[in-house]
Amino acid sequence: MQAIDHHAWTNRWRSRHPAEKLLPAVSLLALTLILPPLNIGPLALTGATLATVYGAQVPLRTVLKVLAAPTAFLLAGAPFLAVSLDFSHGFSLHFSADGVRLALETTVRALAAVSCLSFLALTTPLADWAPLLRRVGIPSGVIELILLVYRLIFVFAERALTGRQAQTARLGYSRPDRSVRSLGLLAGSLFQRSLEQARRLEIGLAARGYRGELRVLTLEQPLSWARLTAAMAFVVLIGVMGGLLAQVWT
Amino acid sequence: MIVPLLTVRGLEYTYPGGIAALRDLNLTVERGCKLAILGSNGCGKTTLLLHLNGTFRPTGGEVLLEGRSVGYDRHSLDQWRRRVGLVLQEPDDQLFAATVGQDVSFGPINLGLSATETGERVREALESLRIAHLADRATHSLSFGQKKRVAIAGILAMRPEILVLDEPTAGLDAHGVTHLLGVLQQLHEAGATLVFSTHDVELAYAWADQVALFHEGAVLRQGETAAVLADREMMSQARLRIPLLLELAQLLREEGGDDAWQPPRSREALLALLRKRLREGDMIQNGASE
Repeated sequence: MQAIDHHAWTNRWRSRHPAEKLLPAVSLLALTLILPPLNIGPLALTGATLATVYGAQVPLRTVLKVLAAPTAFLLAGAPFLAVSLDFSHGFSLHFSADGVRLALETTVRALAAVSCLSFLALTTPLADWAPLLRRVGIPSGVIELILLVYRLIFVFAERALTGRQAQTARLGYSRPDRSVRSLGLLAGSLFQRSLEQARRLEIGLAARGYRGELRVLTLEQPLSWARLTAAMAFVVLIGVMGGLLAQVWT
Repeated sequence: MIVPLLTVRGLEYTYPGGIAALRDLNLTVERGCKLAILGSNGCGKTTLLLHLNGTFRPTGGEVLLEGRSVGYDRHSLDQWRRRVGLVLQEPDDQLFAATVGQDVSFGPINLGLSATETGERVREALESLRIAHLADRATHSLSFGQKKRVAIAGILAMRPEILVLDEPTAGLDAHGVTHLLGVLQQLHEAGATLVFSTHDVELAYAWADQVALFHEGAVLRQGETAAVLADREMMSQARLRIPLLLELAQLLREEGGDDAWQPPRSREALLALLRKRLREGDMIQNGASE
């Protein structure tokens, strides 16, 4: 998660208008859901990965790591789609051509979809979504809450990490039973510290004129129609290629 | 007589638990001064600072702004915090926004400034702390020293008359301290009134023009820095040591010096003085041996 966040803030396309990234990514996602997956899937996966690695300059290793976790889930689940149960002659399990095809299609489609979303996650930090969310009519209170939680996650993650290190230094995780106990104590102390943190944050904000609203100045990057058009053309190209391939196969 | 910018008169504060934190505390902050609130840990410094911008309401006594008592209703508190800017010790208690620029913009927006003006203030505040290059960075990716500067910028962007800083140098390395003091000195020269709490006698000696010696919730003595810090009795009562620089300077003075003599305030000044004395000593010795 830390790696995703780091690249989201530092990649080459960070400062681009979020819509320039959102529209192509969502369109590509839609294509993978509409077109036959075995044709469009590999193309979309390649396209999204190319955009992340060459366009936004996120290292391929990071992209692969981000894709690894969902891939593991997909591969673990696929065999169950390929197998079918048959109760007509007692009870039997067997692979069927249809089942295997279904498993393959689902896996490829899901992987392609995940690569589209990971492109978004790796190129746009959460903070940049705020103006877009506001524009589509999400209430500002909800957006403020999202952003505040986002900020505080890092504060608490750091506390949790140092707390765990301190416990480990005193052999708090040397046996399973101790681990459970230590983790419980850590969670309890974090809860208490969160309450204290909230109280102090309120003092800090009050000093700056807080009156119940967390309004800040968000600078919106100008939307480049040229770049957006180019990106959409890329998506259309992938779509056309996927469609042609489908024609050739059938 | 000039009315002090901020006057604290007979301040008493007892925490809801019944623990008395401040007892009959008196303090004055003159316009344009650099005042150090000096005391050991847990003597109530932070509690006092939280009274200076109206965060805490005293259980006795009062805080006067330019000789006038300020109310604790919402409108008065707004006015108060517009004039007295408080920077907390822990920057994570103050920074809430995702990016540096957004965080600094919070104060000016609350002052009701327009987006253009706010942007201008943010730029200016970041520049005066020499962190303009961090404007677009994620708050959580900053180092402790950077966060501290952002926290100060967030207050500075509101252009308060008095800047109150709680332990501004705590947790900073030597380079960070030098940088921060440089920035604060610039603000001071631009006319800002600075109040800061510290337990570091060397820092107070090097940097403040006035010191309020704090012990167990009361000010023992407030006055000109060198005079207060040289007060052996009061200093030991406050469980503080006389700064090494001052002690060495006093020793040098006993060894000879004229009336216009000013104690050196920095390492560099003391070293220069020592070098001069040693050279003079050499000359006397050389003269005697000839």
